[in-house]
Amino acid sequence: MILKVEEANRVVQATILPQEASLSNADAFKEEMITIIGKGVRLVIVSFENVNYIDSSFLGSLVVALKYAMPRNVDIYLVSLKPDVKNLLTLIRMDKVFRIFNDYEEALGTLS
Amino acid sequence: MTEDSDQITIVFKSNREGIPGTLNLCLDHIRQKAGNSPLHDDLMAKIKWVIMELLTNAVKHSGERESVLRIGLTMDAVILEKEDYGKPLVLVGQDKKKIIWPLEEMVRPLDFPIYHNGMDSLCVRTDESGRAIFFIEELAELEMPALLSDTSEHFGLLIMTKASDEFAYEHEPDTGLNRFISTFYFTQPLL
Repeated sequence: MILKVEEANRVVQATILPQEASLSNADAFKEEMITIIGKGVRLVIVSFENVNYIDSSFLGSLVVALKYAMPRNVDIYLVSLKPDVKNLLTLIRMDKVFRIFNDYEEALGTLS
Repeated sequence: MTEDSDQITIVFKSNREGIPGTLNLCLDHIRQKAGNSPLHDDLMAKIKWVIMELLTNAVKHSGERESVLRIGLTMDAVILEKEDYGKPLVLVGQDKKKIIWPLEEMVRPLDFPIYHNGMDSLCVRTDESGRAIFFIEELAELEMPALLSDTSEHFGLLIMTKASDEFAYEHEPDTGLNRFISTFYFTQPLL
């Protein structure tokens, strides 16, 4: 289990549990995300509060999840990124395709 | 692990479970060698990203049980090298053509784009010896980042190229040796 999941009103808060988001758990993360998206939710908020490091494999899974979500009208927001993690996302321009917020509350505040 | 004054050599068993421990070993060595002139956090973060990607590359792509990682610290730079005798590098260009090492004489030198995310184009230039030097060409921003149309396989190369000051690949056809080299130059010489 990579994600701790809570759902309310078709909004899922999914917290990544491992400290290293890497090759060792990228496939499991992708599968869990696809399962969540397939349940008909409207928004998945992924929290990186525990994650100290992310690698290219995990970033790839994140993009695969987004590609799966877009045609199903499901949004994916990212929250609570530590500076190292956020800087790496920015380095390869992933901040242009994901909406990034400081925390769950800020992300939820965008919902009408 | 073996160590001389400037460099450590680490044999990595190419298993994913070994990545965190090997990463920490490398970072500890760099911190120790930097001594009273600790490297800036931003630089250490970039070095960490590249080591992680080199180790991940070893697990995913080399097909070999062992890789050798060399970490060197000089007055002017940190140099990371990863060597193995596994499968040579194969790149798929944006025209979907495969570029496979060792390169044929007739195609050298070569300059080609291999990936773009809408804002950065990851390119490779090869010299007469077949050495590949990765570089980034910045593109005018597109409305919809192309990141979503071409995923993951090039993220590792993109990270290593953008984080390093120089990032290169060498292949020795006689021995089958593959070598990735990442260099980080200091803005001021290390004291």
